[in-house]
Amino acid sequence: MKDKQNSYLMLSRYIGLATLLPTATFVGYAIGYLLDKGLGTHFLKIVFLVIGIVAGFVQLIRELTRDAAEK
Amino acid sequence: MQEHELWLTALFNRFLAGPANSILGLFRVKVEDPAHPWANWMTMELLVFLIAIVLFAVLRSQLSVDKPGKLQHIFEVIYEFLRNNAEEVGIHHPTKFVAYFGTLFIFILFCNLIGVIPTFESPTMVPYVPAGLALATFAYYNFQGFREQGVFRYLAHFAGPMPALAPVMVPIELVSHMARPLSLTIRLFANMFAGEQVTMAFLKLTFLVAPAIFMGLHVFVALLQAYVFTLLTMIYVSAAIEHEH
Repeated sequence: MKDKQNSYLMLSRYIGLATLLPTATFVGYAIGYLLDKGLGTHFLKIVFLVIGIVAGFVQLIRELTRDAAEK
Repeated sequence: MQEHELWLTALFNRFLAGPANSILGLFRVKVEDPAHPWANWMTMELLVFLIAIVLFAVLRSQLSVDKPGKLQHIFEVIYEFLRNNAEEVGIHHPTKFVAYFGTLFIFILFCNLIGVIPTFESPTMVPYVPAGLALATFAYYNFQGFREQGVFRYLAHFAGPMPALAPVMVPIELVSHMARPLSLTIRLFANMFAGEQVTMAFLKLTFLVAPAIFMGLHVFVALLQAYVFTLLTMIYVSAAIEHEH
C-alpha cells in the first residue's frame, strides 16, 4: 500500500513538472511586459523573460534533485 | 456569449437573472447579455456545491463509531489517503491542513466527474474555475507560510540560503511562485477540456464502443487531475511551512 502510494506521489510530481518550465517563462515575460508598460521602459520584458526561464530551470532542478536525494 | 445553454443554466437564466445581475452590478461587472447572466460553469459549480452539501449532511447524520456505514468507510479512506500523502510530502502535523486538502480534492473531483452525466458538463473545463481554485491555493499556502514561520522568516526564505545571492534569488523565487497558480490552472483546465473534446469527437463519429472507452479514460483523468492538484497544493504548503530554510 505504501509503495503504491509512493508511486502515485511520484507520478503526480512528474505530471506537475511538465508545465513548470513554460508557465515560469510565460509569467516572467508577463511581469516584464506589465512593468515595461507601467514604467515606460522596453528592456524589462527581456530581463524578466530570462528570469522566468531561469526560475523554471531552478524549480525543475530542485524537484529532480529532491527526488534523487529521497531515493 | 456561451455556445449552448444547458437546461439547468436556462432555468437559472429564466428565474434568477435579476439577482445575478444585481450581484454582478455590486462588483461593477458589466454583463454582455443581461437576459443570460448565468454561464454553464456557474450553474454546474453551484450544483456541485449543493451535491457536496447534501452528501456531507447525510454523512454527518449517519456517522457512527460502532457501526460505520459504506459512505463513512469511503470518506474515511479518502481522509486517511490524503493525510498519509500530506505526511509523505513532508508536512509533520498534517491533520490541521487536511480540511483544505479534502475540500479541494472532493470539489475538483465532483466538478470533473459531473461532466460524465448526460446534459451536464464539467465546470473545470472552463479556465475561470481552475483559476479560482489555483488562486485560493496560492493564498492558502502563503497564509500558512506566514502563520507558521512569521512574516520575516517566511519572506526571508525567498532570498535563499546565501545572502550574497539574494538579489538574484528574490526575482527568481517570485516568478516561480507566481507561476504556480498559472501552472495549476492550465493543467486542470487543459486536461478536462481535452478529455471532453476527445469524447465528443468520438461521439460524433460513432455511438459504439469508442466513446465509452474514451469516457472511461476521461473518468481516470478526472480522478488523476483532482489528485495532482491536491498533491501539488500539499507540496506547496509543505515548502511554505518547513522550518529548515
